[in-house]
Amino acid sequence: MRETWRLIDMRVEDAYTQMGIDEAIAYARVKKGTHNTIRLYRWNPSAVSVGYFQSLRDEVDLEACRRLGVDVIRRITGGGAVFHDYEGEITYSLVAPDDDPKIPRDILSSYKLICGCLINGLRSLGLDAQFKPINDITTGGRKISGNAQTRRYGVVLQHGTVLVDCDVRKVFTVLKVSDTKISDKMIRAAEERVTSIRRELGRHVSFDEARRALISGFEEGLEISLEPGELTAYEEGLMEKFRERYRSREWIFRR
Amino acid sequence: MRAEFKVPGGKLLAAETEVEDGRLVRVKITGDFFMHPEEAIEGLENALTGIPANAIEDAVQGFFRDNPVDLLGASPGDFIRVLEMSLSSS
Repeated sequence: MRETWRLIDMRVEDAYTQMGIDEAIAYARVKKGTHNTIRLYRWNPSAVSVGYFQSLRDEVDLEACRRLGVDVIRRITGGGAVFHDYEGEITYSLVAPDDDPKIPRDILSSYKLICGCLINGLRSLGLDAQFKPINDITTGGRKISGNAQTRRYGVVLQHGTVLVDCDVRKVFTVLKVSDTKISDKMIRAAEERVTSIRRELGRHVSFDEARRALISGFEEGLEISLEPGELTAYEEGLMEKFRERYRSREWIFRR
Repeated sequence: MRAEFKVPGGKLLAAETEVEDGRLVRVKITGDFFMHPEEAIEGLENALTGIPANAIEDAVQGFFRDNPVDLLGASPGDFIRVLEMSLSSS
């Protein structure tokens, strides 16, 4: 009999709510004995997230974000800046106790295991995906997924993105990649480094098809059954509290 | 003042420092590395603030010896390197 984990499936919320939900699930897991949880989600409006240690002003073109209605948020996880395009990506998160027998204590090994779940999903779609340490997944040498993990509240919280579609020009508009004007040459160079499910497969893969592949990938990789569920009332309350912190200028501009 | 260093096979580190009368008066370390617990970065910056600018190596080594911190994508030596680079860039 496989262990059952909770699946919170494709909730669409703004950046502050999404990061508040991830942290609320992490906080409640050990304290309240809630289930291990996998979430799949999308960000609306689209948003830029920076890693815990990044300088916001170094990474993000705040004026471009304002102009385009793109939210800006700081994560509690390290790693790099990400453009979460509502039209182009699925984000996942995983929460389990840090002493769960399924999750390696060693951080790099746990990246490999959890990224392995995404790789299962991508391979089932027909992509030749590989884990690229420390925290990336590539196909044909191009990055298709970035991942970040924290350990606090007695849990592992890992979240990451899977690119369904990628508009490199949009990414360059909101992230500060260079002081120089965005050139076609830069766009082509970036297209050599980054790719997406649709580009690799040369067809219109729907969010629903990608979502189903990822769910099966997690079930296979962790030998679990995922059962659709919702946040508890406790988690919803916590999320609202955390969301206020994520929205605060003090947090966003912290570094 | 400010220096950046891409760790080979690792992550990007940047350091901003200000020195007055031979001492570090401001230290900020940023980048896309991973440090667990994350709040240790503020601890490291605080540990470096006020020390003589020529004591960075000992202070960084001491911090990582005394605090249980996991680093991915950068080592204590990389932190020392980028901090010292930032001093010579001013």
